[in-house]
Amino acid sequence: MLNKEQKERYRRQIAVFGEDGQEKIGKTRLLVAGAGGLGSTAALFAAMAGFGTIRIIDPDCIEETNLNRQLLYRETDIGRPKADTAAKALHAMNSSIDIVPVTAAIGTAPSRDLIRGIDVIIDGLDNYLARFLLADAAWKCGIPFIHGAVEGFYGQVCTILPKTSPCLRCIVPNPPPVRETPIIGVTTGVIGCIQVTEAIKLATGTGLPISNHLLLWDGIRQKSDRLKIERIPTCTVCGSG
Amino acid sequence: MKVHVKAFATFREVMDSQLDMEFPKGATIRTLLTELTGKYEGLGELMFAAPGTLRDFVNILKNGRNVHFLAGLDTPLDDGDVIALFPPVAGG
Repeated sequence: MLNKEQKERYRRQIAVFGEDGQEKIGKTRLLVAGAGGLGSTAALFAAMAGFGTIRIIDPDCIEETNLNRQLLYRETDIGRPKADTAAKALHAMNSSIDIVPVTAAIGTAPSRDLIRGIDVIIDGLDNYLARFLLADAAWKCGIPFIHGAVEGFYGQVCTILPKTSPCLRCIVPNPPPVRETPIIGVTTGVIGCIQVTEAIKLATGTGLPISNHLLLWDGIRQKSDRLKIERIPTCTVCGSG
Repeated sequence: MKVHVKAFATFREVMDSQLDMEFPKGATIRTLLTELTGKYEGLGELMFAAPGTLRDFVNILKNGRNVHFLAGLDTPLDDGDVIALFPPVAGG
């Protein structure tokens, strides 16, 4: 049951999906993996929407080159740990929810421990090695994983539903080499918002998630496409054999 | 036979975002890429590490299935196929 303050705070979105939907968002425990461009955007909109718990994981400290897109950070934050700084900024946006910062890299602790107690994962990572570790664990634990990635004006999103949709390795069987990716804030903004939209849809049971498809965003043409993706029977993670 | 080709992400900077192509029976993904790289300057370098050697992170989907899991460059084309080409974006 929403209290009086929640009914007032979320009044404009309760008009979208009802008090029942808002309660469901409040009960959803979200993991935002990565507090960079995607993660900042996703965590901010998730906090404003009222996700009850947001666990945000990032091993890095804030650098000047982050400030073109990582909208939780200010110039005075340079040098500070991203996870803690993000948590402070999110708390200032919404002090009624639980924000849990974790300064750690995916892979330094078992992924299962990092995702324990989580209902939905938002992928804000910047390399596929970490993505695979987390997505594989999410698959095995039955947790939806909302994949997102960007480069320049381009981005992609899909919601991986364990046992139902193709896994990340069906979509990206061979990862590209790790490099400093050209990124602009408007693209991380679009893709991060699409990811939180997917999380809201899952939490409230609204519409259908972008599963079995990869949504590909083209910011130059201001157009998105959907590419159907099939599960591969021989896939080492989700294949049937 | 006719196939529809869609290109995404940075491939769009060197080629059309979509086009229809016609091939004789027996054509494969290799045939398709040969024609595309001949038509669009710069595409070959994006897709191939060396002549005939596709960069392994380049995604080529035939009707939603990555050809990496089919017969690779020797995957046959069929009439009505939708072939999607994209390098996976990785940034976050």
